[in-house]
Amino acid sequence: MSRDFHWLPNIPNIRKMNAFKRDKKEDEDGSNQFQNLEKTTVLQEARTFNDTPVNPRKCAHILTKILYLLNQGEQLGTTEATETFFAMTKLFQSRDVVLRRLVYLGIKELSSIAEDVIIVTSSLTKDMTGKEDLYRAAAIRALCTITDGAMLAAIERYMKQAIVDRSAAVSSAALVSSLHLTTVSGDVARRWANEAQEALNSDNVMVQYHALGVLYQARKSDKHAVIKLVAKLMRSSPKSSYAACMLIRMACKLVEEVDEGSEFLEFIESCIRHKSEMVVYEAAHALVNLGRSGTREIASAVSVLQLFSGSPKPTLRFAAVRTLNKVAMSHPAAVIACNLDLENLITDSNRSIATLAITTLLKTGAESSVDRLMKQIATFVSEISDEFKVVVVQAIRALCQKFPRKHAVLMNFLAAMLRDEGGLEYKAAIVDTIIAVMEGNVEAKEAGLAHLCEFIEDCEHTSLAVRILHLLGQEGPTSKQPSRYIRFIYNRVILESASVRAAAVTALAHFAAACPALLPNILVLLSRCQLDFDDEVRDRATYYCTILQQNADPAILPLVQPPQLSIPSLERALRNYVRSPMDEEFDISQIPPAQAIEEPAQEVLATVKPQQPRLTREENFMEKLLQVPELSAIIHDSILFKSSTVFELTESETEYNVKCIKHCFSDYLILQFDCLNTLSDQFLEDVRVTVDNQDIYTIVCEVPCVRLPYNELGSTYTVLKFPEDIQSTIITLPTTLRFIAHDCDPSTGIPDAEQGYGDEYTLEDLEITVRDQVRGTGSRNVDFSSSWENAATRGFVTTEQIFGLGANVTTLEEAIQSLVMFLGLEPVERSDRIKSGARQHTLLLTGVFRGGKEVLARAKLVLTNHVTMQFTVRSQDLEVAELMISSVG
Amino acid sequence: MMGLFDHLANFVGLRKKQVNVLVVGLNNSGKSTVINHFKNQNERCTDIIPTIGFSVEKFAFKNIGFTAFDMSGQDRYRSLWEHYYKGCHGIIFIVDSNDKLRIVVVKEELDMLLQHPEIAGQKLPILFLANKIDLPNSLTTINLVTCLGLDKIQNKPWHIQATNAITGDGLQTAIEWLTDQIRDIHINRR
Repeated sequence: MSRDFHWLPNIPNIRKMNAFKRDKKEDEDGSNQFQNLEKTTVLQEARTFNDTPVNPRKCAHILTKILYLLNQGEQLGTTEATETFFAMTKLFQSRDVVLRRLVYLGIKELSSIAEDVIIVTSSLTKDMTGKEDLYRAAAIRALCTITDGAMLAAIERYMKQAIVDRSAAVSSAALVSSLHLTTVSGDVARRWANEAQEALNSDNVMVQYHALGVLYQARKSDKHAVIKLVAKLMRSSPKSSYAACMLIRMACKLVEEVDEGSEFLEFIESCIRHKSEMVVYEAAHALVNLGRSGTREIASAVSVLQLFSGSPKPTLRFAAVRTLNKVAMSHPAAVIACNLDLENLITDSNRSIATLAITTLLKTGAESSVDRLMKQIATFVSEISDEFKVVVVQAIRALCQKFPRKHAVLMNFLAAMLRDEGGLEYKAAIVDTIIAVMEGNVEAKEAGLAHLCEFIEDCEHTSLAVRILHLLGQEGPTSKQPSRYIRFIYNRVILESASVRAAAVTALAHFAAACPALLPNILVLLSRCQLDFDDEVRDRATYYCTILQQNADPAILPLVQPPQLSIPSLERALRNYVRSPMDEEFDISQIPPAQAIEEPAQEVLATVKPQQPRLTREENFMEKLLQVPELSAIIHDSILFKSSTVFELTESETEYNVKCIKHCFSDYLILQFDCLNTLSDQFLEDVRVTVDNQDIYTIVCEVPCVRLPYNELGSTYTVLKFPEDIQSTIITLPTTLRFIAHDCDPSTGIPDAEQGYGDEYTLEDLEITVRDQVRGTGSRNVDFSSSWENAATRGFVTTEQIFGLGANVTTLEEAIQSLVMFLGLEPVERSDRIKSGARQHTLLLTGVFRGGKEVLARAKLVLTNHVTMQFTVRSQDLEVAELMISSVG
Repeated sequence: MMGLFDHLANFVGLRKKQVNVLVVGLNNSGKSTVINHFKNQNERCTDIIPTIGFSVEKFAFKNIGFTAFDMSGQDRYRSLWEHYYKGCHGIIFIVDSNDKLRIVVVKEELDMLLQHPEIAGQKLPILFLANKIDLPNSLTTINLVTCLGLDKIQNKPWHIQATNAITGDGLQTAIEWLTDQIRDIHINRR
């Protein structure tokens, strides 16, 4: 919430900026007099603060220097900061207004570093209640940065008074400060809600807005209270445009969250006729982004945006076209009405507006207009910033999906953009798009690879070069003429940095493994790489040479592309193995795969890629489970096979929230129940979830949650042992939450009585499925056909059955999706993507059943009126194969 | 321009001399009330609440401008007093003469103050105010001198005065003593 206020003009900061400007003007040569400041010297100078009488001009100058240094990112140690802070407190004896306001800034900057900052509490409360209006608001803001939970009570009375103060600046400062104070104490907003309610009636636009912010904060966790607040304000409609905008946002959130809520939607729509442009835009923006608005609402919003796009104000035009650009993705038909206006904006002198207009047209336009628009955008693409170039690239990506036949024009355009100057993010967006186009369109593959090859010839971004080399290694060997890529790749070995060279070596090895004709030549190249002066490059070259030279052995070739295993789990398993007598062979199939990088969905326009986590989800859970002594005794030497997704055992709005995660080990199943007590007047003890095992599973142990105070998450665990019979593991188990409840005082959380009472609460049934016991192997490019053919020789059994899928599955995509979802196996060779319009498809799946039993599955799907499937499973274990088949049925 | 006038005023002695005094003592001994009493009638505040940290107050007496650092006496803030020792011209030490129980705490705090390097070697006038003298069973000034060991203070002029900060009894004489001392030590010497 507090983020909404960031754009607020912070008066002291502006003042400070002005001071700098003035200083600059005074310096005739235009240089910055603060440029070469040194921290120690400035801190030395700060001792002047201790002098009596205070020299305000001198002290203000020194204080400005300190503030400048801090804002340049200079770090102060605790002692330095504390010393400076206390010296600064002496300046309270001066009555100079400028100096005092600088002191407030200093307090705010140092409050988080210095010790004993509460020393200025009385001085600040004196200023905030004093007669000098110039001090009051700023003193409040400074005060809230030094206040901790213990001091809050001491200033509460003053803050309440300030919220209802006649001066708008004081009232606003107090309201915004109380929002910031919610990080110190959660219920500040609730305690001061009465005052905020009074401030809501203020005539000042800002005060009204901030008061609404505080009131929302106070009610945030209680949806019914929010509904009441919004409904009440909807009728009176706040005078402040800012408050109206915020009200629209709150209403939006409610529309998304509650089932009924048509009155909120109506309210948002009515705001389209508001007299303030800001509110009108906010309402239109809200309508187009709401999942629930129908064509009528979208149409009225778009017509407003259309009106704005013809406005003389550039900001309005920009806002309108930017929103239209987004709507064009979800509702292209609605935006077509604006095409004429957008055409006019193509020649807008503001390039950002022009870019957005063109890319919007590209999204909505017909295939015939693509050439014309591309030509137009080419005229100024070099003039716009990277950020907007990325928008253009994304529009092209969408076009390629829409009009696959246009890929030649678009690919050429992308190649031209690749040659231009640009940052990493921009280049990465282009490369992503080219790769996406290649994946979606086989015809584009050769051209795309050629463009990328050309690009890496002169690519300054190591990460991109590595990525492209990897892609070449994957895709190049299956192209028409693999040999032509070798030169490009080997050039990298000669010219680039170590990490690129290493990637190039790997790519070469992939070619050699896949194209026997190239093997001798590549071996020569790799042997040269063995002389590289970088360890990693040399190691890789040696590794691949050794493997490739033994190419007679079919078992060793897959090692060119080893599976991506989770390293911490591998380490743990090896450590355990070394401790064991080592009679059996080490079973690598037990090791879970490393976290797969989620490929960004086609429609998502995320420019920031999520950082790949260091540990997988399973490893994180394992760490957590091992910290529970009872559990650690059972599982310390096994490996967490799979953790299921979170499964809610209660509705979200109930007294107690229980969520379950199933952790599957080879012989045990640990059920982790995350419980949340949402009753503020209850304190729970000895919380456990009892599972009716129906005499099939054995309950090994239960770990109750000892204390569960209000609004804190607690976990209780139940450990089950899987039954011998694999078929019977699939089961539905009734669960009950049991606990000892103590009634307590909601404000303090202290129980009223010593003695609690036992109680129970029925939860929803818990299902244990196939999916919980199966996971993918994590190697994306396994050669499925050879493992499938060789399966018989490795002692796999085959089972097969033909199914007619239910009436609710009407397309092949749905069939594939539900099959993958249900079984938990992993599709390989991109067999989960189907050509559009195909009537039949073969889905290839691999995976591992708990205990390391490999599973291969093939589903041949045919679409007639409904989907028919021939499902074949091969596994080391007949029972597992049968389980797969029977659970599909 | 202003600066020139200041110098001129200083030269002819028209301008008020500015001095800093430190006001310390245990919590609830009446520091803020005493300072409040020194201020002009129209600047006084009506309700005194426990000070958190410190508060800067200004008042004038006999052509000397006093800046008083009214420190908080609560025990968690007493360690912060020392930050303000430097550069002060006099100390007002206020004792609740009715609080016999904590007289040892007062002694401890006083000794720490006197031994502090910023204070120990300095010739600083210390004014002790035996406050709340109106309450029954309060200690007399003579008792306090022995209890606190004031007679052992060698290098500093000190004075003890029984006061009642609510009515203002004794405060006038007390501040007169302090003003004279500060004038002697700090102003006339220059």
